[in-house]
Amino acid sequence: MKEFTPKLVCFSCKFGWGYLNGNGYAKKLKNLIPVACSGKVDATHIIDAFKEGADGVLILGCPDKECHFQTGNYQARKRVLLLRKILREFGIEPGRLKIALSLDPEGTRIPAFIEEMKKEIKSLGPLSVAV
Amino acid sequence: MAEKPKVAIYWLASCAGCDEAIVDLNEVILTVADAVDIVLWPVALDFKYESIRKMKKGEIALSILHGSVRNSEQEEMAKLLREKSQLVLAFGACACFGGTAGLANFISKEEIFNWVYQDAPTVVNPNNNRPQTETKVNGNKLTLPEFFDRVYPLHDIIHVDYYLPGCPPPPELIANAVFAVLEDKLPPRGATLAPTKPLCDACPRNKSKPLRMEISESKRIHEIEAKDDQCFLAQGVLCAGPAIRSGCGETCIRTNIPCRGCFGPVDGVDDAGAKFISGLASLIGAEGEAEAEKTIAGIADLAGYCYRFSLPSASLKRKSKQE
Repeated sequence: MKEFTPKLVCFSCKFGWGYLNGNGYAKKLKNLIPVACSGKVDATHIIDAFKEGADGVLILGCPDKECHFQTGNYQARKRVLLLRKILREFGIEPGRLKIALSLDPEGTRIPAFIEEMKKEIKSLGPLSVAV
Repeated sequence: MAEKPKVAIYWLASCAGCDEAIVDLNEVILTVADAVDIVLWPVALDFKYESIRKMKKGEIALSILHGSVRNSEQEEMAKLLREKSQLVLAFGACACFGGTAGLANFISKEEIFNWVYQDAPTVVNPNNNRPQTETKVNGNKLTLPEFFDRVYPLHDIIHVDYYLPGCPPPPELIANAVFAVLEDKLPPRGATLAPTKPLCDACPRNKSKPLRMEISESKRIHEIEAKDDQCFLAQGVLCAGPAIRSGCGETCIRTNIPCRGCFGPVDGVDDAGAKFISGLASLIGAEGEAEAEKTIAGIADLAGYCYRFSLPSASLKRKSKQE
């Protein structure tokens, strides 16, 4: 059997995690979506990612109370908490949706964050939602 | 005299409340009855399926189908009426999105059967009899429709031309829809025959909304004495208005009940539940993650609330236990 490689979609805030133009991460990393603010990531975007076959979704936002737009990261975090509750009721492990609030203007830690979460998802197995 | 257009009204997995809503057209129904030839309406008139089967393709001008699809008989009738009809109108929340009965999609067919035919305290079933699609009794074959694994909205089974949501749809919108067909004034195919703005836009309590709202403790409507002129969300009661289409006539709001979402998402949104989550998140007022978690943990049956009328058309499907 072919080894399971988790598919991970990562939304990263451009302010806290780099514009990613210079270092080319956006091109190198699959399914990395730089956004203007983590608060821009709507619940429908996250659910669409799962629907389209993602095994996990990672959101990278600015540190607590340091959002460029005042409270975007805080809104995103509450959204994640609500969605994790919804996922559980759909029989989906809440660990498949994560948010990390930190600062890394060059985005150099992004690949490590993605790898770490992929490892966790790997132990959960593929997300096969019954259709 | 030219032949009158033929109209079929049929119930799938439906409570017949939608039929009731059509009857609620009152005297307008006389005008409708004069203008069309009703060829099928099981709740009101006696017609035979056989006469529908004998019809030519597209002979029926309009089929109004209400209810979701849960078994093979409903699927067969939906497909038959689709074949014989020029237009199919998905009528009511169940046909449009799956409806309240669609909440059954949170559990499996097996769990439903175990409860209904074995585990419920009022059931005595020593032989563990279960419904079979075929049974032989005294040499005769008896058949039952097959109960599907899940509830489907109508558009998962057949092509649907127009949608009219609601539980049930209000008489004004029904009359508008019927006359739009008769007068050939229909919008492009696939449209929902209701306003496009969210309920908050039409809500009589909209003006009472404070500039900044925060929910630190969610309350259910029966737990408080809700003020009848203030925004429900401002009172800490979940109301689906921000994410739900208007057009219902705000009947719930006017009787001091928050919106439950029977009109489904607004144009351009597929998953009203997810959209509601996004809006609700920004209303959660909490200092820090622990407090936010506490507020969220206090929301009773969050997924059930978000998808009360639309679980079968939610983007996420329940992960099956077998997998």
